[in-house]
Amino acid sequence: MKNYWIKRIASAFLVLGVVLILNFLLFRMMPGDPVSSIIDPRFSPEAKEQLRKIYGLDLSLSRQFILYAKQMITFRFGISFLTQRPIWEELSSRIPNTVALLGSALILSAIIGTLLGIKAALNRGTVIEKIVLWGGAVSFSFPSFFVQLILLMCFGYLFPIFPLRGTISIPPPTGAMAAVADYIWHMSLPVISLVLLGFGGWALYVRNLMVKVLGEDFILMAKAKGLPSHNIIWGHAFRTILPPVITIFLLALPGIVSGAVITETVFSLHGVGRFLLESVTGHDYPAAGAAFYLLALLTIMSNLIADLAYGFVDPRVRFERRGKR
Amino acid sequence: MKSWKRWSFIALFLIILTAIAGPFLFGTDPENPMAPPFSKPVWLDRDAPLTRILELTEGETTKTFKSKGDPPKQFRLKGRIRFEGTPVKATLVWRTPREEILLEDLSRYSDILIDLDGRDITFKLNIGLSAFDNAMDKLMPAEGEYSLYIESDVPVASAELTATLEGGRWGVLGTDQRGRNVLYLFVMGIRVSLIVGISATLIASMIGLSMGLLSGYAGGFTDSVIMRSVDVLLSIPILPILMALAGIWGKGLWQLVLILSLFSWMGTARTVRSLTLTLRDACFIENLRALGAGTPYILARHLLPETLPLLLANIALGVPGAILAEAGISFLGLSDPRVISWGRMLHEAHSFGAFTTGAWWLLLPPGLGIAFLCLIFLDIGKFLEEMVDPRLKGGNDK
Amino acid sequence: MIRISHLYVSYRSTFSDVEAVTNASLTIAKGTIAALVGESGSGKSTLLMAILSLLPPGTLVKGKIIFDGEDILQIPESKLNRIRWERIALIPQGAMNSLTPVLSVGQQIREILSFHNGIKGLPAERKTAELLDKSGLPSSVAGRYPHELSGGQKQRASIAMALACDPDFLLADEPTTALDVITQGEIVSTLSKIVRDTGMGMLLVTHDLPLATSVADHITVMKNGLIVEQGSTEEILENPHHVHTRELIAALKVLEGGNSN
Ligand SMILES: Nc1ncnc2c1ncn2[C@@H]1O[C@H](COP(=O)(O)OP(=O)(O)OP(=O)(O)O)[C@@H](O)[C@H]1O
Ligand SMILES: [Mg+2]
Repeated sequence: MKNYWIKRIASAFLVLGVVLILNFLLFRMMPGDPVSSIIDPRFSPEAKEQLRKIYGLDLSLSRQFILYAKQMITFRFGISFLTQRPIWEELSSRIPNTVALLGSALILSAIIGTLLGIKAALNRGTVIEKIVLWGGAVSFSFPSFFVQLILLMCFGYLFPIFPLRGTISIPPPTGAMAAVADYIWHMSLPVISLVLLGFGGWALYVRNLMVKVLGEDFILMAKAKGLPSHNIIWGHAFRTILPPVITIFLLALPGIVSGAVITETVFSLHGVGRFLLESVTGHDYPAAGAAFYLLALLTIMSNLIADLAYGFVDPRVRFERRGKR
Repeated sequence: MKSWKRWSFIALFLIILTAIAGPFLFGTDPENPMAPPFSKPVWLDRDAPLTRILELTEGETTKTFKSKGDPPKQFRLKGRIRFEGTPVKATLVWRTPREEILLEDLSRYSDILIDLDGRDITFKLNIGLSAFDNAMDKLMPAEGEYSLYIESDVPVASAELTATLEGGRWGVLGTDQRGRNVLYLFVMGIRVSLIVGISATLIASMIGLSMGLLSGYAGGFTDSVIMRSVDVLLSIPILPILMALAGIWGKGLWQLVLILSLFSWMGTARTVRSLTLTLRDACFIENLRALGAGTPYILARHLLPETLPLLLANIALGVPGAILAEAGISFLGLSDPRVISWGRMLHEAHSFGAFTTGAWWLLLPPGLGIAFLCLIFLDIGKFLEEMVDPRLKGGNDK
Repeated sequence: MIRISHLYVSYRSTFSDVEAVTNASLTIAKGTIAALVGESGSGKSTLLMAILSLLPPGTLVKGKIIFDGEDILQIPESKLNRIRWERIALIPQGAMNSLTPVLSVGQQIREILSFHNGIKGLPAERKTAELLDKSGLPSSVAGRYPHELSGGQKQRASIAMALACDPDFLLADEPTTALDVITQGEIVSTLSKIVRDTGMGMLLVTHDLPLATSVADHITVMKNGLIVEQGSTEEILENPHHVHTRELIAALKVLEGGNSN
């Protein structure tokens, strides 16, 4: 067990290292003058010289990288070209929104997907199973932004139940309660859209695993033991498929984080993903690098948490390697 | 063979045909504005009048059409008329079933530019209305025959006139924010999705195949390095990297293909590796080794044919991912603005006013197009997979 | 007393119905061991599962299974869950895959104790250790997961589980298949000792006639879903009626002859 944890943490650090290298290379090793992609060309020569120092552009590449890694790990991202303000200042106000968006969407779609998947597995050939199968097909073939645009058109324009854009109303409402309600109102449609897009795949996967596990001998045994069906379904069947469910969650995680960029763009949310897009389109490279780094960090951390959870739920973790299919 | 009757093969064939024939079907440049911006498709909102475009092209002096008397919302007339010589008396006339209306006096000009707008007060006064009247009530009052013609005492050298009777409905799929024909854009969008989807997946599969073969066959250090990179790449959010690369490297179609394939070979590599491992241990390979066959020979002669069917299925199943990724990047506005693609159409709809005008019909064609194309490739992939492994057939129940 | 009379079971499968048990009548009394012998596919497990009313949904069942004056086939599910395990417990066939893989042996036993007897916490742990001991396992096995046990140990864990609620009847479905001969002997003797000590009744399903003759009081022989021979062990050994039984006994004699040589 201890071995497993050490391995997982080590692999998280490996991924972090690769992210840092990629990030470093992506924005520095591009064709053309490397300086111009890191330092705003409109700056005065003195300011440029100072920034050169900060970024250590006169040092050797490896020294530059070490300096860069240090800055990234301590969240010192530098100054944005576009806003001329510290990037961290800009990002820190956005992180809670992105985490809230992805977190609540993930939790909701996991709960709904799991419940529907189990229901579908227990009631083969019913409407619920059809919903799950279709929901799965939608989430694998429809572009997420298309579904979101349609939802926005329906419930933001044709039946204006939800706002068309933004994270808070302008002007912002007064009072804490009103502010919270306003925030929830703005986040509802994005979260709902992500849940609609996410639950299908989740439910389909849970259903397939459940159908398989319900045919196993130990489920028949649990019935023979006279256990109530609630115990059998959750305590035996679902408990058994929990490890592969976590595995698929791990595989889906990077895609979910990528989805933040698109969702925040469609709904014009004040989040890290849209900041990344704005920075990329505005050629604000330090800002884009920082946003990418934060999104990757978010993925790595969720990955680690899921990995550790996996260690808890799978007793075979000591003997078998995960990911063998 | 029955397999060719599968719907996905037929659909793919038809789509490719449309993509090739597209530019020839429409004749003009897809970028040309065809009708007023945000015109609805003709099948929508049946009560609203159609947008009608009357064109007097070279040599023509009259254009006649029938109307059911549904007055359009706007009238515009634009163009240029040249005479052979200077006419003493020439007029541009609009004839309704009730009267003849003098739109513009062309006398004493040999070359004249026309630009009339129904909302223009001078125009209203010219045709005998007050500033507060609606010009359309006079211009299209009832059901019957209407015509636009030029009368003059010298021959018309050339007349290029376009009268737009804007009713808000035009074309099979309407128009976008620049008045472009959405149907045309939609047909043009097929190519990008197909080209990017297929070629990115092909290149990715080639990379995946070589990596998988190398990893499985070489084993040892090479293997663990490759497999670790696969693991790492699979646990990083790829879209931000693609965005950054698209932003830095330029936005061309082929750059996009390259970027996409660089980050989507991992799945294939894993599959090919595990297949190679099982085959490597199979005794026929051992025998070949004993006979002194070199490694490249073994790879080429035996492993490749064995992995090929699986690879084909993998390619088909990988195409939707590439199509969706391309659409996503285009939707984010990171693709070449001169290349029409479905993602780009959605991007423009989102950023240029579809939501303030409620032009939902701009969303459906590209979105459903992407989804349909993805479903086709998923189905083909499933079919190929079943060919490789017949146990999967009817596998829904297992 | 479990009294099965005129039992018919036919499975619904996609192509045709399979009649797995035809007109079977059988009685198991408390304090005795009844053996059900027959070749593979003769319907033994089917008959056993019918007693617990655990046949797959859609299976056609006719006849009666009287237990405590009530027909098990007519009892509603909620009441059945009180009969299952508290009165009639099962030792499954093979036992290879009958333990939930993600729960430790102790967890699985304690779950039964908690639901059926309301025993929780420390008393439950003590009882678990006691049960494991009775089935010939060290109490440390409680903390282990099924994949950490050998086949024989899994089988013993299944026995411990079956004894958890002190049932009146044990249904043992080929408890020793897939085990080596020595382990087989040990497990069967553990089982018969427990049955004799506690005075419960047992239906032992096996395709192994020598094993049946060595422990059972009564033997029933099945073939193709039909009961072809029924009687006390001595009767059957002395005077087998059916050809099939005679063949089986002949084989047994040959074996014994071989052993004595
Ligand atoms: N779920 C089922 N659906 C359809 N047929 C079944 C099912 N279970 C068993 N059968 C059929 O019923 C017959 C009896 O099966 P059963 O499992 O009772 O045999 P058995 O005597 O226990 O054999 P073994 O010694 O191999 O365990 C067999 O022909 C089998 O194919
Ligand atoms: Mg059996």
